[in-house]
Order: sequence, then structure tokens, then C-alpha cells
Amino acid sequence: MKNRPEYPKTAVFLIFLIGFLVACPFFLPTYWTFILGEILIMALFAMSFNLLLGYSGLLSFGQAGFFGVGAYSTALLILQGWQSLSLILLAGIFSAALAAAAIGYLCVRRDEIYFAMITLGFGMMLFTIAHNWIELTGGSDGLPLAVLPALKLPGLELSLFDPRNMYLFILVIVLAAIFFLWRLVRSPFGLILTAVRENKERLAFVGADVRMVRLTAFTIAGGLAGLSGVLFCLFNSMATPDFMHWSYSARPVLMTVLGGAEIFLGPAFGAAVFFLLEQVITNVTDNWMIFLGAILIPVVIFFPQGILGTMIKYFNREQETDK
Amino acid sequence: MSNVPILKIEHLGHAYGKFQVINDISLKIPKGELTALIGPNGAGKTTFYNVISGRFPPSKGRIFFAGREITGKPAHKIVPMGMLRSFQITNIFPKLSVRENVLIPLLLQHRRGYTFLRSLKREKQLYQQADEVLSQIGILEYGNKPARELAYGDKRLVEMAVVLARKPKLVLLDEPTAGMNPEETERMILLIKELAERFGTTFFLTEHDMKVVFSIARRIFVLHQGGLLATGTPEEIRANPQVREAYLGGGDIKC
Repeated sequence: MKNRPEYPKTAVFLIFLIGFLVACPFFLPTYWTFILGEILIMALFAMSFNLLLGYSGLLSFGQAGFFGVGAYSTALLILQGWQSLSLILLAGIFSAALAAAAIGYLCVRRDEIYFAMITLGFGMMLFTIAHNWIELTGGSDGLPLAVLPALKLPGLELSLFDPRNMYLFILVIVLAAIFFLWRLVRSPFGLILTAVRENKERLAFVGADVRMVRLTAFTIAGGLAGLSGVLFCLFNSMATPDFMHWSYSARPVLMTVLGGAEIFLGPAFGAAVFFLLEQVITNVTDNWMIFLGAILIPVVIFFPQGILGTMIKYFNREQETDK
Repeated sequence: MSNVPILKIEHLGHAYGKFQVINDISLKIPKGELTALIGPNGAGKTTFYNVISGRFPPSKGRIFFAGREITGKPAHKIVPMGMLRSFQITNIFPKLSVRENVLIPLLLQHRRGYTFLRSLKREKQLYQQADEVLSQIGILEYGNKPARELAYGDKRLVEMAVVLARKPKLVLLDEPTAGMNPEETERMILLIKELAERFGTTFFLTEHDMKVVFSIARRIFVLHQGGLLATGTPEEIRANPQVREAYLGGGDIKC
């Protein structure tokens, strides 16, 4: 009950944040609107990953595979002449979830490093397919898109080539997906998922089919990674094998570690930190990864709960001492 | 119906490689009878429990729970039938609150495990049931605390609450008083007795502490080197020369 008074504060903060995000493209330079759009997509990607790591305790190194499935399904469907964005979104989610269900069926039998290695292996296989099946995927050139379906709203048609429209489109979809995730982790299934992370043996011995719970989480996480892939394909007007490379799978891992795996919005916060740092540091030097490493290491050593996790803990402690 | 034993085991065997941990055990436990399994360290008690509860399948033999065969079934299939177990080393959800610990088996029992978009807070009835279980066990006051913050003995009680939440017919307790001080042990004994009487739950427990065994068990099985050495009431077991020989090196059973 002691958390009650904080609740409206958080709500006010979130409303302010959403208002700010909506307003951004109207006062920021186009360049920063692009950066912000990319942050939003990566935030969703990282949060889909954290449904596995933070909530079910599974470290997936193959999340980019499903991101890529979403991206390629979008590119292929648009090249086929599909016009409806909502159908393209659904198809992307569905194909990525389907791939995740099939691959997950084999992955969820193992834990920890074994799980991580199997997901890495499948991620690499998906990358190789995208890279080498040239007739379908265009090989290393990928599939560039010359046209994007228009965003059809009642009474108006907006072009996604307009950066502001694209950004707002991404914002709406990402917020909807985050809202879905938020409901999910607060549902009975969310508690069962946390129980998998906490003690899978005890959970099995109160009657849960642990593999099935994990497979369900893996499939949902895959579908959401696919959704972020759809957005990324539209955002870049192309799908390339790079999206599926294992180094892309490392991104949500890094973002989650930066932001904090135990905080719902931790990975999104991590994504923002990741990209803002990249912007600032690449202005100064080409060796930005060295700086990223130099930041990550102290975070892991001194703030294992991530930057947002540590900030929230500090904030809560301050409040408690105030009382 | 009342004649069907709650647990029937036929020629059960289990081997790790060539080493026969459990060898040709057959036994029956009638419904409602508080039963204990005793035996020296390494007699195979925990392996025996692991096999019955579905942690791994037996190499040989058959297991029947309330007349239905459960041989080789995984835990998540056996649990809904009404058999639950505790572990020798306390096995709970440490970071979750005590109330959530108990809520998890209740969600599973009422098939809410795959309820995705409805808020957990709306499961008011299950929260209420969880609190009833906690007050039966006497740990309601810790409901909001993370389970890992409780004292050792209370953590063991949390596991009891987790196990009992689904109202099982048969409960396997692997050394329920292990590591407890005399006061906590006394409390656990009273609790088991009370629950057995009030709900007709059958308890089948292993125990190191002979005082506990002889004070609550109506029937005792003695396990020795993987085989069943003797069966009987506490008096019969105490008087059994074979048991004295094997188990206590010829001495008296202290209690």
C-alpha cells in the first residue's frame, strides 16, 4: 500500500513523456526526428527481448532473427503490391511469431548458456538464409523499396516518406505494443512467467508445464521483435541481411543491460541512452564502440540493475527517508 | 472407493548407471493415513520421492495414484491429480511476495495460467483464497513481504502453504523439519497433524528426527540400501530387531 501515493506521480510523468514524444517532430530538426524514430523501434525490439530475459530469465541471442523475419516479410509483401499497412503489420507479427514458435519449440528445452547458444545458432541460420537466398532476398544488397504504402486515415492519406508522418506512425505502433506488454506482465500469465525465472522446478511442482510457458513467452517476444522489424523496414525503406546479423541480436542485450532488466521500461531507456551516446560520441571519434564498452563495464560492475533501475531504486529510497 | 489406496507402488526400481538406488519396492498407503519413510542417509529416500513425484521416470515398476497409473508422467501432469511435494532444501519463489507464492498454484489450479491481458489484481477470489491458506498456516502477517526476507523456519512454512494451496489429496514432505529449531519443529508437527485431521490430507513424509516420526506417523516404512526393510506401526518398528540391526547398529531407537 505504501506505493499508492507514487502511482499518480508516475502517471503524470508518463503523460508528460508521451506528450513530449508527440510534440518532438514539430520542433526538432528532421535529423533528430529520424534518430528518435529509430530509438522508438529499438526500444520495442529491446523490450521484446526483455520479456524473455527480465521476466522469464531466458537470455536470447537470436532475437534479430525474428526482427529480420518481420522486416523481410514487409519488404516482400510491399514488392508484391500489398497496400494495407495494417495487414502488412499483422503479417509481419504473424510470420515472426510463427518462426519463433517453431524455433522456440527446440530452444526452450534448455536453459542459460545452452539456451543462449541455441538461439544464437538459429539466429545465424536465419541470417545465412537472408544473405544467400538471393532470388528471394536479394542477397547482401537486401530488398530496397521504391514505394511505401500510404498511411490511410479516415478522410486523409499520409505519405510515410514524410519524416514527421513516419515518426508519428512509429510512435503510435510502439506505444500500443508497449501498452500490450504492460498488460501482459501484469496479467496472471505475467506472474507465472516471473515464477519461471524465480524457480522453474517449484513451478513445475505446483502444476505448470514450464516448457509451454516458455514457448508462449518466446513466441510473443518473437512476434513483437517481428513488429519492430516491420517498422524498421518501413523506416529504412529496405530490408537487408544486416538486420539479422548476430551483432544485431547483441543490441537489445546491451540496451537492456544499460537500462535495467528488472524495470519494465529499462530496455527502452537503455535504447535511448545507447543512441544518444552514439550520436554524441561519433561526433568526436570513429571508435564509438570503445566508449560504449567503457560505459558498459562500470554499469555492469557498479549498477547491475542498470541506469534506470538504479535511478528508480535511489528515488524510492529518498522518498522513504523523507517519510 | 475408500478402499483404493491413495498411493500404490509395484516393484519400483531406479538405477543411476549400474548403481541400483532403489530396488524392487512395493507398498500401499491408505487414504488419510499419516505415513513416514525412514532410513539412514543414502538409503534412497529422496530418489524414491523424486521418482514418485515425477521428477524423473523410474527404471522399473509402476506407480498408481488414487487408482490411476502415473508411472513416468511429468510433475505438471501429476500435480493436478492431487499429489504435491515439498523439497528437502526449501523451494519457493524467493523474490516474489509470500502472497504471490501461494497465488501461483491457485492460478494454475483455476486455469488462469494463460490469462494474458486481464489484470492479475482482478483475481480477487484467488487473492482471498491465498490469504485463507496463509492464515491456516499462520503466516498471513508476512503476505506482502518478499519470501526471501523471512526467517528460515517461516520460509519452510511458505513452502507448506505453496504445496497446500491446491488442496492436495496426497502430500510428500521431504524432511519437513530439516534445519529447524525445536520450537519450529514443534510448530510444524502440530500443523501437519491439524491439516491431516481437518482436510483429510494424506501426508507421506521422510524424516531424520525419530522423535518427529514416532510422534505423528501411524505407519512407518523403513528403507535400507534401496530396498524396503520393514513396514509397521511405530511400536512394531521400534521392536523390530532387523530395523535395530540395520538402521541403528543394534542400539535402541532413541525417542
